[in-house]
Amino acid sequence: MTELPLREPTFLILTALAAGPQHGYGIMTDVAQISEGRVRLRAGTLYAALNRLDTDHLVEVDREEIVDARLRRYYRLTPAGARRLQREVERMRSTTAVAAQRLKLIGGTS
Amino acid sequence: MDDHIRTSDADRARATAMLRDHFAAGHLAAAELDERLAAALNAATFGELRRVLADLPEPGQAEQPGRLAPDRSGLECGYRLLLACYPAAYRRVHQEEMLAVLMTAAPHRSRRPGIREAADLIWGALRVRCQPSRNGAEPGWQDALAVVSVLLPLIVFITTVVHVAGPLSVILDGGAPHFFRNMFPLWLLSQFTGPLALLALSLLRLQRIATRATMALLIGLAYLAILSYWAGGPDPVGVSTIGGGPYLMLALGLEMAAVTASPGRRRGLQLVTWKHVALTVIAAVAVATTSYPWTLVVIPVICAAMVLTSSLGRWLLVLLAIPLGPYVFVPYLYVIAWGSHRSLYVRSVVNPGAPFGQSCVLAAVFLGVFVVAAWRESLRSRKLASHAR
Repeated sequence: MTELPLREPTFLILTALAAGPQHGYGIMTDVAQISEGRVRLRAGTLYAALNRLDTDHLVEVDREEIVDARLRRYYRLTPAGARRLQREVERMRSTTAVAAQRLKLIGGTS
Repeated sequence: MDDHIRTSDADRARATAMLRDHFAAGHLAAAELDERLAAALNAATFGELRRVLADLPEPGQAEQPGRLAPDRSGLECGYRLLLACYPAAYRRVHQEEMLAVLMTAAPHRSRRPGIREAADLIWGALRVRCQPSRNGAEPGWQDALAVVSVLLPLIVFITTVVHVAGPLSVILDGGAPHFFRNMFPLWLLSQFTGPLALLALSLLRLQRIATRATMALLIGLAYLAILSYWAGGPDPVGVSTIGGGPYLMLALGLEMAAVTASPGRRRGLQLVTWKHVALTVIAAVAVATTSYPWTLVVIPVICAAMVLTSSLGRWLLVLLAIPLGPYVFVPYLYVIAWGSHRSLYVRSVVNPGAPFGQSCVLAAVFLGVFVVAAWRESLRSRKLASHAR
């Protein structure tokens, strides 16, 4: 199956949701933590990606709560989304293993 | 509870939790929070704890959405304005949620949305508009392209009819030179090459053949346009005449894109409504017949009508502006560049001679490629049929 690789923000969102259902702001802080501050997800990008993932049935709405008189919606990973993330991890793992091995051969750090 | 009663660890922990909530809600600055946290952790009696929380609202008072701390209301208005860029159906579901996230993520004392935040929201709105919707309720740009594949042949047909009406009336009056009258049927056919190509493209069964022939036509048109540009002077392919090279190239290109990238003609026929058909027919007639200054009145009215019909109308306006925009506005560039007398030349439809010869050649090329492609297609299907047996 040839599918396009996931873009980094999408990959990080799926990784964040793999820990459990989270709401929008929770996903943003989790992504910042996973990428060690490198990727700073803003609301526009986050919700466009979530919309796409929702249409492709990779995430779905878990529940809604009212906190501080504001609506908070939690999202969770679907089984299809977990499988997609798994495939992406496998793809990246095999590629990085080859790169690490070759670097070792030319004397770089692995 | 009496002020001199001593507090427990649990009471102090609860007070610090309340202070953190007040900080998150924006009632306290970071420095004040640290000060009050220290005071709460050292409070020995309920009196001291109460003094730490004295000027803060009761925890039971939920914040009304309308009543905000003064410096956050401008921020919320700014975000609501930016969120208006999103499609209405999307906003109905997601606006409150996005607002909550935006307000939480915003820096503590900002009064207006940041530039980066605003740009990111507008970009997100664009992306959401281009993404297909979940249940296909809102027609996206692909559905609009399907409607374009149905409507564009109609538009080009109308503009070509208007374009040939001029010479036709001259011929009928008997005012044209002899050679032109003899060649007229051929010229008529060559003028209709464009609409026929578009019609062939939109008929699904002939798609492969028509695509190849149209590519040949486009290449021929582009070649002649470049030739006329380099040669300068008279205008072999009618670059400046209405219904000439560039307009046809854009229309053909758009039709090819519409036929290949869209869900197909059937979907287009499903979606198109009488309002859209009527508006596009009026637009085509207006664009082909009106001239300055009426165009400046009619075109904006038609655009406004398209925008107001539906989201499909808005997408149609964007897509049909690709061939029709230059058709309308290029003459104005000529007027600006060379003065108003040039616009009369541009509007003239009696144009025998050079464009005529080239149009016939282009028509011959198109028909030739069409016939060859159809013949090869029939050979291929015959071969497949013999293999299947």
